[in-house]
Amino acid sequence: MGPVSSRAKRFESVISFCLLAVLVLTAIGVFLKQSDFDMSRFGVYTAALALSSQKSQTSSPEITLDALTPTGFETLSKSETYTEENLYEKINGKAPFYIESGFRKLFTRRFVSKKDKDLWMELFLFDMGTAKNAFAVYSVQKRPDAETLQTMRFAYKTTNASYFAFDRYYVELVGSAQSQELLEAMLAVAGKIPSRLSVANDTEIVELRLFPQENVVAGSYKLHLTGAFGFEGLTGTFTARYMFGDNSLTAFFSRRRDTQDAHAVADSFYKFLIKNGGADKPPLNKNIEAKIVEFYGTTEIVFTTGPFIAGIHEAQTQQSAEELAVKLINKLNDEQTK
Amino acid sequence: MNRQSENFGRRQFLARAAKAGISVGAAGIISYLLYDTVGPQAHHPAEDLVTLPGFSVKQQPGRIISIVKGSDRVKTVDKAIELLGGIERFVKPGETVAIKPNVAFASPPMLGATTNPQLVGEVVRLCYSRGQAKKVIVTDNPINDPASCFMLSGIGKAAEAAGAKVILPKPHLFKHTTLKGGRLIKDWPVFYEPFAKVDKLIGIAPVKDHHRSGASMSMKNWYGLLGGRRSTFHQDINTIIAELAMMVKPTLVILDGTEVMITNGPTGGSTSDLRQANTLIASTDMVAADSYGCSLLNLKVSDLPYLAKAAGAGVGTADYESLEPKFATVS
Repeated sequence: MGPVSSRAKRFESVISFCLLAVLVLTAIGVFLKQSDFDMSRFGVYTAALALSSQKSQTSSPEITLDALTPTGFETLSKSETYTEENLYEKINGKAPFYIESGFRKLFTRRFVSKKDKDLWMELFLFDMGTAKNAFAVYSVQKRPDAETLQTMRFAYKTTNASYFAFDRYYVELVGSAQSQELLEAMLAVAGKIPSRLSVANDTEIVELRLFPQENVVAGSYKLHLTGAFGFEGLTGTFTARYMFGDNSLTAFFSRRRDTQDAHAVADSFYKFLIKNGGADKPPLNKNIEAKIVEFYGTTEIVFTTGPFIAGIHEAQTQQSAEELAVKLINKLNDEQTK
Repeated sequence: MNRQSENFGRRQFLARAAKAGISVGAAGIISYLLYDTVGPQAHHPAEDLVTLPGFSVKQQPGRIISIVKGSDRVKTVDKAIELLGGIERFVKPGETVAIKPNVAFASPPMLGATTNPQLVGEVVRLCYSRGQAKKVIVTDNPINDPASCFMLSGIGKAAEAAGAKVILPKPHLFKHTTLKGGRLIKDWPVFYEPFAKVDKLIGIAPVKDHHRSGASMSMKNWYGLLGGRRSTFHQDINTIIAELAMMVKPTLVILDGTEVMITNGPTGGSTSDLRQANTLIASTDMVAADSYGCSLLNLKVSDLPYLAKAAGAGVGTADYESLEPKFATVS
């Protein structure tokens, strides 16, 4: 074979450039396509897993959520961590509620059944900073007809979810379906969490002891960190629901910084009730020192004792309201004499 | 065979192969370096700002709002649209339709935090079968990871099964806009491109309690069109919802009150947060639709200030009864 002729060289060059052009165009095509693919052609599931992985962040330094995976389940996408800055990206309009309640971090993780991919659950582990904050978000959101769980001080389940507060953590386990298998797996996850948290014990909410125990509805305690009963001034307010026969009513109290502050808040709340349609009522029990207000067919009672503003809310009868008010006054007075 | 020419040929081949590799590699690197992952930022000249097209159809007295009672979403939405004149009134043969469900969360359909997938599927089907649409797209800009939201809500699968194309938000699909007369929407990124070339727009939203705004319905559903740090607007939630209603002029809105999230919204989490209301509303007036919808949450129109704001801006009327709603019940 002799030296390559100039004609052959030109021919080879043309072929080479054509091949290179095809390669470059292919590379550009691939690049453009991968940044704008049609999910309907490639399937949603694959795309979801890929994007979930890209967005995932580091897991909690305090608890490895993967270790909570229940038997028969596996993790679905990666753990995510949210702070005050981006909590909105996870829970949207509910973010202000948590942030106003002392929120620090949220850790989330999904687990999916190995047998049935439609059975999955998501774990939400909120670090609320203090046990009171965690109890507040737990109690205010508590579903009224839920079944109380005895495994922890504050825990309940619904047909598709489980919720509990443990020290400064508030935990939600939300299932994708109403399934016994899923619910059992959720409870298994819930059971593992307390021992894996950095807190040693579940701090008691001692204020709850100040409520009279007779006739109280079990598990009805709440802590409203902001505006209880629609009144902004009633912050840090504990409530408990009672049943006197068929009559329901709610007792409440809030410890203020001093007696003067308690009087000021009580006065403001009383005026708020009157301004919104309430009317003064004389007490049945002449010994009771409190404001009694008829409010759209229910009875409201407001009083102070020491640094506490307290009272009865939405009582169906005045008699039961006053009876409970007396018991509450006695409990709060006992607290001050300790 | 000449050994020297054979060696020369091999060297030449290797050199050319190396050059070809370098060329391809360089093209890839250049493409990577030039790729704008963030998109345009900061202020934009007025000529770069976009305005969402209007998609509304001419109002027909007596056929502005329909309210259908029933638990089967397929039947209620069919009836509700029929009472307004049928999907043929809204979608013409050969048109492209965008459907904007609420896909805000990676939440299972059972919880009612997102639009029911069966409802999305049925509206897509109607657009194709009776409206003779050329193409239907289903899109939203969710709060959570978009692909997970479309997957876990079941909306992606339902839309695809009915033949729609699902479009996920990408940075290059956002453009900046300023709402004329708006106070909050100024030079703000909106999810624009999927809607720029469609002929019609249908919003489908569930009725939900909302911690911040009181209720999330068809007007709040347009929040999904906002890009950037949209949580900023939660500080003035009533104004932003009203401005979104001014900005978006849909062909039709469908408000699903079959199961309403009565508490712990907008995320919910438990089936016990839901109440069976068995009501579906279709309307060309989203203020009217939401004004009726709030009653399903035991709210009054006055409880939701954004309704009065939107009505005041001429978006629609909160006095839905004045529109002579068409009522029906399907079993």
